[in-house]
Amino acid sequence: MDKEYKSHYYSHVVRIAFFLVIGGVLAVVARGLFLPDTMGQYGHYRGSNIEEQKNVEVRNHTNESCYECHRPIRLIHKAGVHQTVSCEFCHGPYADHIQDGKYVEKLPVKRDMEIKALCLRCHNKVIRARPEDSIKMVAMPQHLEEKKVQTDHNCNQCHMVHDPLLWIKAAREMMGLPMKEDKK
Amino acid sequence: MSVAAHGDTAAAVANYIFPNDLHVHWSLMIVLYPYITGIVAGAFIVSSLYHVFHIKELKPISRFSLLFALAFLICATWPLLNHLGHPERAMSMMLTPNPTSAMAGFGYIYSAYMIVLLLEILFLYRPTVVALKEQASGFMRTVYGILSVGSDNVSEKALKLDHKIISFLAAIGIPMACVLHGYVGFIFGGIKANPLWATPLMPLIFLLSACVSGIAGIILAYTLIMKFTGQPLDVNCIRTCVKFLWGFFILDFVFEMLELFSHFYMATHHWHTLETLYSGPLYVSFWVLQVGVFSVIPFFVLMALSLINWNDKVIAFFAPLVSVMILCQVLLMRWNVVVGGQLMSKSERGATTFHPQWLEKEGILPAIIIMVAPLVILWILGKVLPFWQKDDPAAQQVG
Repeated sequence: MDKEYKSHYYSHVVRIAFFLVIGGVLAVVARGLFLPDTMGQYGHYRGSNIEEQKNVEVRNHTNESCYECHRPIRLIHKAGVHQTVSCEFCHGPYADHIQDGKYVEKLPVKRDMEIKALCLRCHNKVIRARPEDSIKMVAMPQHLEEKKVQTDHNCNQCHMVHDPLLWIKAAREMMGLPMKEDKK
Repeated sequence: MSVAAHGDTAAAVANYIFPNDLHVHWSLMIVLYPYITGIVAGAFIVSSLYHVFHIKELKPISRFSLLFALAFLICATWPLLNHLGHPERAMSMMLTPNPTSAMAGFGYIYSAYMIVLLLEILFLYRPTVVALKEQASGFMRTVYGILSVGSDNVSEKALKLDHKIISFLAAIGIPMACVLHGYVGFIFGGIKANPLWATPLMPLIFLLSACVSGIAGIILAYTLIMKFTGQPLDVNCIRTCVKFLWGFFILDFVFEMLELFSHFYMATHHWHTLETLYSGPLYVSFWVLQVGVFSVIPFFVLMALSLINWNDKVIAFFAPLVSVMILCQVLLMRWNVVVGGQLMSKSERGATTFHPQWLEKEGILPAIIIMVAPLVILWILGKVLPFWQKDDPAAQQVG
């Protein structure tokens, strides 16, 4: 004997289908509500983001910005093999130093052992991805031993950091030693 | 002084590594993401073997495996949300679907599969829920009321309609489970810049390892739950599972090896890098652990379990044991693919290292939490919907 039920045999299916449709409608409504207005204005991104990106504070400058004030360094830096190295690479971002054309704070200057860590960031032979013919790679303390100096020496005791070969060349000239041929 | 004392460059880095290749960005979380979705897809396949292909022996675990899949599916997004940060932005992917981005497709693929899985569970449990609602009171009565979608009709006609819908959902669920996990494999297989990943075999390997890990997960969970609740184990069901596990594992292992072999045999200019990767940083985790310990041993154990007519005790002991090994194998495979692919530099001349930390945001502890969460969810699901037929008031009424 069949039991009497309150619901039709298909009522749950109808309800589930109804909820799925409602869910779909809600999704479309939600998309209309939450989709940023400028989405797709130029491409698959929010058009207004371009304006936001334009207003992002510029923190990094080129070397020319630094040279406007630091004239003597400009002459040394532009003459040496470090001429293509950005000032900010060692000294930090321009915006920490100058804001709206005015001096704010001194940038940190690396000294002592910090100098060694700074130089080795590029010149460490461990980083073997760097081709030897474009940048001098050294292993420490091997380099110091080869040059017959004490192994606790800092890089800037022999190398002028803005023009690393400046003093080396001057010393060779004074001693009348032959100059090494410049690498290309 | 040692080399390391003169700079903070990691001494473990070998040969030529680009600076942007030094750090492994796709961390443990991205290892877990395919692992969890794989378990979901595999568990769903187990259920479909009964519901679609009518493998009668799998009846005891056919409903459990759906809830098992649901518990893991709920957590499948967690590693991604943790990895990317800003989980509140996840919905943008749904608002602005991008047809040209494979990664952006996840939201829709995941949601569609979730809907199918939820519907199948809803229809499958409807008679149970209707019977449970009669027995329940208070809050649980409301819960069962919602789950039964306000219908009390469990007449033959209604159940027949339900059965048709369940068969349909299970049938479309199979390709959807395959799409969900094949898609995860495609995410890696489609990255042409990485020779370890870029192979059309990747979706297939991911899919097969998904089936393997899902079946193994079900065997392990089923035997452990039965053991700890003191219920009798349906060893025939385990035997059938083991046979399917062996079958899928043969395909999985063979394709994993074929992929490697085709790299080796074609010996393109990438092989040099892959070779150093497999013989270097991945030697232990790939050759020793994934292939040696956790593939070859389970392969023969599964073969022995499938081919020889052991008594029940042997099956009940070795099936969960070999399942643990298979689960390790799949986890190692995810690790070797996801992390392994990032250990080599795009320079194709060097390798970096990766050591996950315990407490970092994407470290070992968060990984453990994310892997335990589905089990907690499963336990909660078990409180609402009975896993087994014998706890089902509807089944008792019928027979």
